[in-house]
Amino acid sequence: MAEKKVLVVDDEVAILKMFKKAFSSKGYTVRSAESAEEALEVLKQDSIHVMFLDLNLPGMNGVELCRQLREKRPIDIIYAVTGYTSLFELAECRGAGFDDYFHKPVEVKELLNAAQDAFEKIERWKKR
Amino acid sequence: MRILIAEDDFTSRRLLKAVLAKWGYDVVSARDGHEAWEKLQSVEAPKLAVLDWMMPKMDGIEVCYRIRQMEKTIPTYIILLTARDGKKDIVRGLEAGADDYIAKPFDNNELRARINVGRRIVELQAALVEKEKLQGVIEMAGAVCHELNQPMQVILGLSELFLDDLDDNHIKDDIKEINAQVKRLGRITKKLSGVTKYKTKDYLTSKIIDLDKAAE
Repeated sequence: MAEKKVLVVDDEVAILKMFKKAFSSKGYTVRSAESAEEALEVLKQDSIHVMFLDLNLPGMNGVELCRQLREKRPIDIIYAVTGYTSLFELAECRGAGFDDYFHKPVEVKELLNAAQDAFEKIERWKKR
Repeated sequence: MRILIAEDDFTSRRLLKAVLAKWGYDVVSARDGHEAWEKLQSVEAPKLAVLDWMMPKMDGIEVCYRIRQMEKTIPTYIILLTARDGKKDIVRGLEAGADDYIAKPFDNNELRARINVGRRIVELQAALVEKEKLQGVIEMAGAVCHELNQPMQVILGLSELFLDDLDDNHIKDDIKEINAQVKRLGRITKKLSGVTKYKTKDYLTSKIIDLDKAAE
């Protein structure tokens, strides 16, 4: 089976560490970035198609990052993980191209299900 | 809405009280300026006041002065009742802090119309205060959610991963409890981030935001 890679973007190291642990425990390869700019760098170097983006990031925010990524990556699965819901409304997230939207604190279980879903979808689409 | 009438003449006071009650006001009355001043200082003071200019102990002008010295979130709307209708007197009354005046003898329709103006102003000010409070609450809620959801995410996630790794049932129960309590905190911040109304509830001797009603 091919290596399953996910990218997690969050400006808090403790959160990144926890997400890394969670995803690695299920066999995913985890790349992380602390800002949108760093995320763009990581994506240049590595082929990753499933990502979890925090919305409130220093510099470019998660919504802008998603909008940029969407233009060149229509098939990728991009999830939003947000700390303050009213700041970025669901409609705005959908508009930017997010596939789904999670409120912090979110259960690891939910994120793992989302990742599994994402890879299943990508597999299905590849077979068509 | 509550309204204060201050008039030393018994008959005039009774008449005023009766007509205002008929118009649906909850009337508080005072027999002299001093009593009016005391009632306007209370916590539940009416926001509307009709003050006679000439009263024993303290005149209407002095009550106006004193009220304007007080810091009030919603200033009392004061209508001065006066037999003096010379331009100088009117100016003096308004400068003392009255919002409006009515010359005696007055017509009931005019009184009603002028009180209605006052009521509108008081209601507008109350709405404005409410709006400002809500804005403050929403900003505070945003800050609280933003700051607390991050550490909660770490605790929730780690407790979940810990549960997967553990075999010891005693510790497992404790971790489950930590996990459940963080989820509970998460429900609170989620409610907080949905606040759209300014609603309070009594809490000991003061008031706190009623999260359930504020986020409905």
